[in-house]
Amino acid sequence: MGEIRNFRSGNHDEPPPHGGMPRRLAAIIVGDIVSYSRLMQADEEGTHARVKRIERDLIQPSIVEHHGSLVKTTGDGFIAIFDSPVEAVRCSIVIQQNLIGRNASLPKHSRLEYRIGVNLGDVIVEPDDVYGDGVNIATRIEGIAEPGQVYISGAIYEQIKHKVVCGYESLGDRKVKNITDPVRVYRVLPDADAVGKTRSRRETALIFLLAITVMMLAAGVLWYLLAQPGRIGEQAAVPTASPVASPAVSPAASPSPQPLPSEAATQTPQPSPSLASAPTSPSPSPSPSAAPPREPEMIAIRGGSFAMGSNDDPTERPVHQVTIKPFSIGKYPVTVREWNECAAAKACGFTATGKDDAPVSNVSWADAQQYAVWLAQATKKPYRLPSEAEWEYAARGGTQSKYWWGDKLQPGMAGCKDCGELAAEQPAKVGSFKPNPFGLYDMGGGIDQWVEDCWHRTYQGAPSDGSAWSGSDCSSHVLRSGSWKNDSRYVRPSNRDGYDTNVRYPTHGFRVALSP
Amino acid sequence: MKIISCVAVATAIALLPGTACSQGKTAPKDAKLYFITPYDGQKVRGGFWVRFGLRNMGVTHAGDDYQNAGHHHLLVDVNEPIDSKEPIPQDKSHLHFGAGQTETMLELAPGTHTLQLVLGDAKHYPFEPPVVSEKITIRVRPPASARSR
Repeated sequence: MGEIRNFRSGNHDEPPPHGGMPRRLAAIIVGDIVSYSRLMQADEEGTHARVKRIERDLIQPSIVEHHGSLVKTTGDGFIAIFDSPVEAVRCSIVIQQNLIGRNASLPKHSRLEYRIGVNLGDVIVEPDDVYGDGVNIATRIEGIAEPGQVYISGAIYEQIKHKVVCGYESLGDRKVKNITDPVRVYRVLPDADAVGKTRSRRETALIFLLAITVMMLAAGVLWYLLAQPGRIGEQAAVPTASPVASPAVSPAASPSPQPLPSEAATQTPQPSPSLASAPTSPSPSPSPSAAPPREPEMIAIRGGSFAMGSNDDPTERPVHQVTIKPFSIGKYPVTVREWNECAAAKACGFTATGKDDAPVSNVSWADAQQYAVWLAQATKKPYRLPSEAEWEYAARGGTQSKYWWGDKLQPGMAGCKDCGELAAEQPAKVGSFKPNPFGLYDMGGGIDQWVEDCWHRTYQGAPSDGSAWSGSDCSSHVLRSGSWKNDSRYVRPSNRDGYDTNVRYPTHGFRVALSP
Repeated sequence: MKIISCVAVATAIALLPGTACSQGKTAPKDAKLYFITPYDGQKVRGGFWVRFGLRNMGVTHAGDDYQNAGHHHLLVDVNEPIDSKEPIPQDKSHLHFGAGQTETMLELAPGTHTLQLVLGDAKHYPFEPPVVSEKITIRVRPPASARSR
């Protein structure tokens, strides 16, 4: 029907003013459920309900959020068009990553998986359908995609290759049914490093060797620094010894100095960021006049892209793709000992009580900000509060599950009201629970943690570059992590809440971040 | 020496009841906390304003330790009784208004909800006796913008 009209309008009418023929260039997403017939046969009503729920909760909002429009849903799939190829691919990745999370707890045979194909083409758009070669090619690409994967055409690839931080694997030119010219197809790997992992064994070996060298150097320097004051003598024991030891080891929390450099090194395969931001850099500038402050132990996090948010709470919607630049973040929340150095320097508002290794509590956002400013000035390093996106990225530790350790609550992982025995008490010491895959402690439970961002009720309009979201009415800021007083829902890495900027509360603390 | 120990004992005795009993500061007996809007049983649609009324006491910032003054907490769908020995919890169903706010825009999921106000002292503890409002029930209808397709 559309094609006939197109033919006519091309011959007789002036096509543009007529407007009857809505042709346009669009990025087309075609998605389709894997083994739909089998799922329907096994449980018709259940499957139908699940598909509808996924469409309502995930697919439609993701499309809207990426400025696309859903053209139609078929029984087992959907077609959407986008003005921007970048947004189309981002949307596809968000959908696929979310589905991974949803499927994780299900047995293999009842998982709902989609194949997704994306193509760029000139199409005819009608209110409830879309026609053209471009759609057919998208459908064919979708057909050859593996379950849970996003395949894109060469035309899309050319548009997005430098814009969406992903890995792309070329699958060569494919001949697709009823299309004369072969189509170049790429597989999208949401994690940019997935390509590297498969390809460059030699590179990783080199990096590993480099990391070991760096570690040994660091260990040597450490040994030198630790041994030196001992040999010089005890005459100035306390004041000199503590600043020397402090940047490397927070005494009570980590048993030996070795784990820190090794962790930082293994987590940063690229040698440059690990060298740049590894906290071991032995420069405690031994100026006798002003003792350098105790710096919180930091862990270098390399950049990446992830799906931020969840559908578990309205405040966590919509799930959106965020790209994070490399940065470092405190291994633990800021402790009473660290805080009280700021208080002693008259730069922080009050002296905290409690054990030295306990996380500092009863701090307002303004208090936390004061500490970060003081620490940055005293160390001449760009210390700051983490952005909300950085916090969640670090808390997820590369996972997309409900908690960083999986989808089920497990004892010993976090401190919260119903997280298991002993977890429900005010933390007497940071780092009492297991670290997440990035080597970070207490990212969830224990103590609430302020981040840089203003509070917004949802992620509608949130930045996607990992920066802090300020502006609007900044009378309240974002809290992350949940505390020992909250239940396990609050321990989830995507959980968020807002609280008045200048008000202190006994379960609120923070950790610092450092720009490279 | 004797004086010092006397003072020590005296302070210990003075502090004991403070630590053993509730932290709460005393509130005037005629203090009254109530909802200006919405009223009990009201039906609302989408987001709605909640306005807090307080008589015979004052509203101040959290952290300000003035006599007969406190700040509001709005409890949404909370069934547990108020524990006067603990600070009022802070979570998604215990909303704090420590900047001295006396109203808020609330958006709740469609359905029946309960609302209750609790006044907290400088450190977020309930007063003694607790200054609380009646627990009211409201019904939230789906937003009008949910057009039929």
